[in-house]
This record gives sequence, structure tokens and C-alpha cells, in this order.
Amino acid sequence: MSISSSDTPSTYFTILYFAAASDITKKRSETLTAPVHVSQLFTLLDKKYPGLKDKVLCSSAITVNLEYVDVDESMSDEEGLVIKAGDEVAIIPPVSSG
Amino acid sequence: MASEPADSEKGGVREEPNIHVELTHAHLSAQTIIDRVKSPKAGAVVLFAGTTRDTFASKPVSQLVYQSYVPLALTTLLSIAREVKSKHDLTAVSIVHRLGEVPIGEESILIAVSAPHRQAAWRGGEEALEETKKRAEVWKLEEFVGEKGVWRANRDGAVGEKVDETGEGNRQSS
Repeated sequence: MSISSSDTPSTYFTILYFAAASDITKKRSETLTAPVHVSQLFTLLDKKYPGLKDKVLCSSAITVNLEYVDVDESMSDEEGLVIKAGDEVAIIPPVSSG
Repeated sequence: MASEPADSEKGGVREEPNIHVELTHAHLSAQTIIDRVKSPKAGAVVLFAGTTRDTFASKPVSQLVYQSYVPLALTTLLSIAREVKSKHDLTAVSIVHRLGEVPIGEESILIAVSAPHRQAAWRGGEEALEETKKRAEVWKLEEFVGEKGVWRANRDGAVGEKVDETGEGNRQSS
């Protein structure tokens, strides 16, 4: 799922939607404007896709550049990770391999 | 939902000495994965083959479709293989998961491990499977006859909830 950074304008990050997340967003990926605090990502996405938070995000994990990150919505803007331009973010719903 | 994979969704392989993990759209071959872990040092080879079943809660399933975040899933599979190899003193470990449409009755996952003796091979093989089902970033869409597909979860879904071993997410396949 490597989307080369040359395809992404310098103010945007890429977000990937898998499984149930892609059913609601009706897309597998898109670019969003950076920067965004990880703690605000769910609210931002739920505004764009009403119901996404309750149906998918609340049971999902988040990766930024292939690393799992903590999502704590109680954190203030000064705390926690900031998603930067060029980053690859993914919504990881509960997995079901096998 | 079951459209052709984009380039970025093609499978991939990660390898290191005596470890091979792979995601592929191709048919899985039991003989190939067995041959990959065989060694004159290993007296035991254990193979697990997970095949797709034709019903879920007595509803007819037409086929399964698997999706993955390939680079992350390969990293996860590689670390699972390393962990079980070291913990159970295995000779070699290979984990291969199929992606895309998997018709009923075909293998969606193969895990093969080899060890000097059978106990370690059984235990290592089982742990590799359980960890893969728990952690690998692969998602299964069950397509029912005449109905919309359902994305399964191997656990109940809600964060922080205890995994219900009899939960419906565990009943389908493998």
C-alpha cells in the first residue's frame, strides 16, 4: 500500500481505510490536509463520515507510517503525535485472518 | 468489493534464514510450504491448512474475500515467525496467507513449522496460527448467497472487551 510521496501534495497526508472502514467511506484511501493531531483524527473523520466513529473507529487501531500509535482523545493539542504532510495513516479494524 | 487488486494491494514476501512469510493472490501449495521448512535437522514437520467453509451460522457462504495492509501484515507475520521460532526452538517457520477471492473449499492460510521433535513442532505451529489470527492485518469478507457481505472479526470487536472464544467471529473458517 505504498503510495509514493511524489503523488501527494506537500500539505497532505494519506489515510487508508480497510474492511468495515472502507464500506462506510466508500473508498480505500484519500488525502487529507496536514497537520492533524492524532487525538483529533477520529472527530475529524466522524464529521466527514457520520457514524464512522461508533461503527468502526471506536474498535479500531491507528497506524502512522506502519507504527501503531496511541489514540487518546482526552489529550490536549500539546500532547501526543502530530500527523505530518507525507505521512501514511491507516485505520485498522479488528482483524480476521485465517 | 471483490474488484481486481490495485498494484499496491498485490502480495509480498519477507524472508530471513529459516523464516518465510508471504501474502499472495495465488493458490496456496501445501507441498511448497512443506518443502520450504524441511531440513535434515528436523524430524518433525507440522502443517496447518485453513480452508474456507461453505456456511456461517447455517447461512450459505458463496465465497470469502481477504484484504490486507500488506507491508504492515508482512512485518507482523515476520515478528510472529521469529517469536515462535525462538520460543519453541523451531528449525524453520513459514506462514502464507492468500488474498482476494478464495472460493469455498480452498486454502486461505498455510502454516508449516519444522523442529527436531514433534512436541515443539505441534506447539510452535499452533502458536503461530493463533498469533496470526489475533494480530495479522488481514480482513475477511464473507459473501453470502443473495446477500451483502459481512466483514468478520476474529475477536468481538469492541476495544477492551474480553475475547469471547465462542464468539461468532471465531466460528468461520480455519
